[in-house]
Amino acid sequence: MRRFDMYVPANFDDLLAYIDEHPISNEIHLIANGSDIINRIQRRQLRARTLVDLSGLDELNYVKKENGTIRVGALTTISDLISSSIIDSRLEVFREVASKFGGPAIRNVATVGGNICAASSSEDLLPVLLVLDAKVRLRSKGNERVIPIEEFLKGKRQTDLKPNEILVETMFEEVDNRSACAFEKIGMRNSLIIAFVNCAVYLRVDESSRIEEARVAFNRVAGKTPARAKRTEEQLKGTSITTNNVSRLEPVIRGELRTSPDFRASAEYRSDVACVLLKRAMNKCIHELEGR
Amino acid sequence: MVVDSAEKKTFPQMLLVGKNVERLDVLDKVLGKPIYTMDIVPENALFVKVVRSTHAHARLNRIDTSKARRYPGVVEVITAKDIPGINESTALLPDKPLLADGKVRFVGEPIAAVASHDLAIADEAVDLVEVEYEPLPAVFSPTKALESQAPQIHDNGNVAKHVKLRKGNVEDGFKQADLVVEGRYVTQFQEPAPLEPEAGFVIPEPDGSVTCVGSIQSPFHVQTGIAKILSLRPDQVRVIQAVTGGAFGPKSDEIPVDVLGMAAVIAVKTRRPTALAYTREESMIGHTKRHPFVINVKAGVTKAGKLTAWETRLVADTGAYASLGPLVIIRALFHATGPYVIPHVKSDAYCVYTNNTIAGSFRGFGGPQAHFAAESHMDEIAKKLGMDPVGFRLLNILRPGTLMATSQMVDEACGLEECVEKAVNESDWHVKRSSFAKENGTKRHGLGIAIMYHGNSLGPEGSDFASIHMKVDNDGKIGFRTGMTEYGTGAPSGLIQIAAETMHLPISYFKLQPPDTDHCIDTGPTVASRTITIGGRASQLIAERLDQQMKSIVAELLGCKSSEIEVSNGNYYDKKDSERSVSYSTIIEASRKRGIELDVEGTFTAPKCEYDPETSQGTTYLQFTYAAVTAEVDVDTETGKIDVTKMVTVYDIGKAINPLGVEGQIEGGTIQGLGYAIMEDLVHKDGIVQNPNLADYYIPTSLDIPEIKTILLEYPGHLGPYGAKAIGEPPIVLPAAAIINAIDNAVGIRLTELPATPDRVLSALRRKNARE
Amino acid sequence: MAKHLLKFTVNGKDHALIVDSHERLLDVLRDRLGLRGTKEGCSTGDCGICAVIMNDRLVNSCLTFAIQARNKHLTTIEAIGTEENLHPLQDAFMKWNACQCGFCIPAMILTTKLLLDQTPNPSEQEIKASISGILCRCTGYYKIIQAVKTAAVEIRGDN
Repeated sequence: MRRFDMYVPANFDDLLAYIDEHPISNEIHLIANGSDIINRIQRRQLRARTLVDLSGLDELNYVKKENGTIRVGALTTISDLISSSIIDSRLEVFREVASKFGGPAIRNVATVGGNICAASSSEDLLPVLLVLDAKVRLRSKGNERVIPIEEFLKGKRQTDLKPNEILVETMFEEVDNRSACAFEKIGMRNSLIIAFVNCAVYLRVDESSRIEEARVAFNRVAGKTPARAKRTEEQLKGTSITTNNVSRLEPVIRGELRTSPDFRASAEYRSDVACVLLKRAMNKCIHELEGR
Repeated sequence: MVVDSAEKKTFPQMLLVGKNVERLDVLDKVLGKPIYTMDIVPENALFVKVVRSTHAHARLNRIDTSKARRYPGVVEVITAKDIPGINESTALLPDKPLLADGKVRFVGEPIAAVASHDLAIADEAVDLVEVEYEPLPAVFSPTKALESQAPQIHDNGNVAKHVKLRKGNVEDGFKQADLVVEGRYVTQFQEPAPLEPEAGFVIPEPDGSVTCVGSIQSPFHVQTGIAKILSLRPDQVRVIQAVTGGAFGPKSDEIPVDVLGMAAVIAVKTRRPTALAYTREESMIGHTKRHPFVINVKAGVTKAGKLTAWETRLVADTGAYASLGPLVIIRALFHATGPYVIPHVKSDAYCVYTNNTIAGSFRGFGGPQAHFAAESHMDEIAKKLGMDPVGFRLLNILRPGTLMATSQMVDEACGLEECVEKAVNESDWHVKRSSFAKENGTKRHGLGIAIMYHGNSLGPEGSDFASIHMKVDNDGKIGFRTGMTEYGTGAPSGLIQIAAETMHLPISYFKLQPPDTDHCIDTGPTVASRTITIGGRASQLIAERLDQQMKSIVAELLGCKSSEIEVSNGNYYDKKDSERSVSYSTIIEASRKRGIELDVEGTFTAPKCEYDPETSQGTTYLQFTYAAVTAEVDVDTETGKIDVTKMVTVYDIGKAINPLGVEGQIEGGTIQGLGYAIMEDLVHKDGIVQNPNLADYYIPTSLDIPEIKTILLEYPGHLGPYGAKAIGEPPIVLPAAAIINAIDNAVGIRLTELPATPDRVLSALRRKNARE
Repeated sequence: MAKHLLKFTVNGKDHALIVDSHERLLDVLRDRLGLRGTKEGCSTGDCGICAVIMNDRLVNSCLTFAIQARNKHLTTIEAIGTEENLHPLQDAFMKWNACQCGFCIPAMILTTKLLLDQTPNPSEQEIKASISGILCRCTGYYKIIQAVKTAAVEIRGDN
């Protein structure tokens, strides 16, 4: 690996001061536990001059619940997330993501913040956070803002993070008893899986089992970043969960998805399977709701 | 006869052979001792990074290393002109340079090498080497490369080798057929992916010689190669194999010569020890992998189900350099029909250059490709005849006394039929096949079978010999030295097991020394599953001689005849009077007092295989391993995903020297075969490898493995010790065909291209549904 | 280029080293501390061969910068068993021929030791899941799984 500098901030304020003076750029990068960055440096996808090591900021590793809002610190690892009792049975979807996320050692270092800021189709948490309508809190020296994650993700590896900002937490509302959330993923093998397609669904139903709100996200909708499939969501709204909706929706889904082929899978395959995963994720939600 | 792996009763009088004896090399491995190449690099070594071509086919007009040389911390930069001897690093044909000179032929070809005491500095300096390319038209498909107007990659054209097999007259054969079935089968580049990437270091010795240490399968091939590069005599090049973390083929031919050659040129120039370790990416791009094949088959069969004719054309993509491609196509050619009796056969196999990365040795060596085509095709023929695939195979299967496609007669050491029977019973073939055919949900199940034969040892690939050196060392142990290398197979430990059995001594009396060209004579490469067979015979031979040496000393001490001595528990005693005995240590002492060296070295050479190279008729291999494998699959018809849930693997291995070892080879090879079937593909696009990493080149994980049931049969062969047959390579050969056949059983689609990815499965299902 | 003072504990012993920014935990373990039992298989965190235990969790040492291991407790294969006193896992791996080329073995032993520490009676699925991030090319995993089962029984028997 080629050489570079590492700045280790003494504390959180020191970090904010540092990136205020040395804004993030092509050559200065923030790293959580470093797993994504090292990978990209080794593959010569990234030229690093200076890395800023956030791994010591333990105060950013937490899962809290306050007034029905769940707040997850940016440095919470996938393992830490799923071992929190706050991630209860209504949020089992996170365990579903974790069970198919890399392998055990990866889950111990990959962070929620790292996943969000990497902003790519291989970050499995993103579709789930999108359908939970998550927000992200961004801080810089002297400033703080909260924006929806949808606004934060701008494209492949592009976010709204300002050069002097750091993502400190993500927040979403807890899942109530009329709602359910599920995740599906498929790749070539059963561990260390890079998804061809993944899909997250959130459904909220009314008393007559009609879908009051549907949120659907795939790892690729148009372009190479996870996003919500809004037209599909519109079509689902108002329909009953007791009838099979997805086959009727297929033209809408296919119309909405602009999947691109790569050496892993063709565009057509991705579209086909997106429909199947949506159906399966919805079935999981429906099963969950019917069980209550 | 069946050998349950829990008990071996075939040779009841044996102490060790047939038992699960612990290997001698594993203690260090479980303790994590520093024993691999990069664990033992000398303190003050230089580290090397390689500058590689970014063009698939181009003239090299200029290489400017001056900036790199001036970079602080860089000690040396070499190109082709710095090679003292011959710029060559090859496996067989003299077609490949160590460092590109004037022309590059694949993306990733080594052009220059940079050395520094700090690997990071060498890595940075690589970007400073300036290369001026003049692109040439390139070709990436072997079929296109065969066309007359294709760009010529080498001076003598794009066909590195063409071999033929002619038995009988296929025209007549097709006339006798009631049905002719054609098919085309395509296989992919499979990456060997040993977990330890290639590595080596070279120490320049004061006397002008060099010592090379590396992760290698064939020390003597490396010795010859390095000597040529450095313009030294072979005896001035010492090659030692360090403990090797997997090999499977790429470490047996020219690749270690590439690695050690670049390090050696720098070592000699700088007079510093020099180390080169490939990154995973370099390893996947730079080393040899399995040849993709395009195989066309046309088979004739009577309506009663007897094969009358088999015509096949096999085209192998050997990439930019031939490596052992010419031998791979020979093995594929000989096995192309599958293990069946066919009176008329016409086969042609071509080893073709393209501007892809290099294909060469990889476990199976043409066998997997050939059997994928043959065994897929047999199922297709069975389907068209309306016959059960097993029944159809049994009508045509090789049996003792029948002739192979090479007209070699099958001897009595052929357990193929029993392999099939056992596989059929254990897999519950008939019940499952009929119940699976009635399924109609979205999750479907299928069961498929494939059978094989595998010619043992080099056969026509070269002179087949092995050398062993056994000597009682100063510590009193019998030092076992051979050029045959351990890289995970356990085979060298098996050789010691055989020696110990021969001498009736405990295994703990032996010590396996690392292969070192200074201490053993040439033993040929550790490939082709020849270690236990040829190596085993050598082990028996030398052990017998050492045994004789020991016994003649005993005879003197006890005043009896050598032939009257028996050995038990390290004691040598007179058969006529068991009270009179001497211990092993007494013998050693006595030999020292008398100045007798207990030291034997020798070679076993296998009989030569004689056949007509124009027709490939004759004796091609001295013995064969046979097998039948079934695979049960789950097919998710909505996503195309395949899960292999159960496999039954039945092997006629002649004699299991170490049953757990044999099982280990079968299990490991089967999973490599499973990867080949459904997930592994080193994708090339315009000559550039798209997935040179283990994230996107998918090898099976612990969550991808089926339940496996292994059954060992013993039909002792004439070549190997105690009748042992080769087991290193065969297990990777059949899973693909068995799995593809199972998918056909599940959902009625015939996939003819590997791997059977979910995309391909779903596409085929869509096309089938559209037709119906 | 900035250098850093790294203080951490490895196999129960405290260390204080000056490390470069770009040095990985893997490099420090192998080259600075001479603990070469931890191997490098791919450098991009895809094979699990470099796994070590850091603060009781498995991590890929090729994906961790050395300085990120500050104040942490590391366990490598060198801390597991000795020739005279093998850990039951090591014994079982040897007996079951779970060790072919051996390159994945340090990672496999550390991982399964963690598993057995936390789950003394693991199911086959739990064993498979625990090693699902480590690639083995030689064995097909079968004998490794078998060895872990045997070691689990032995460890439970001792307690």
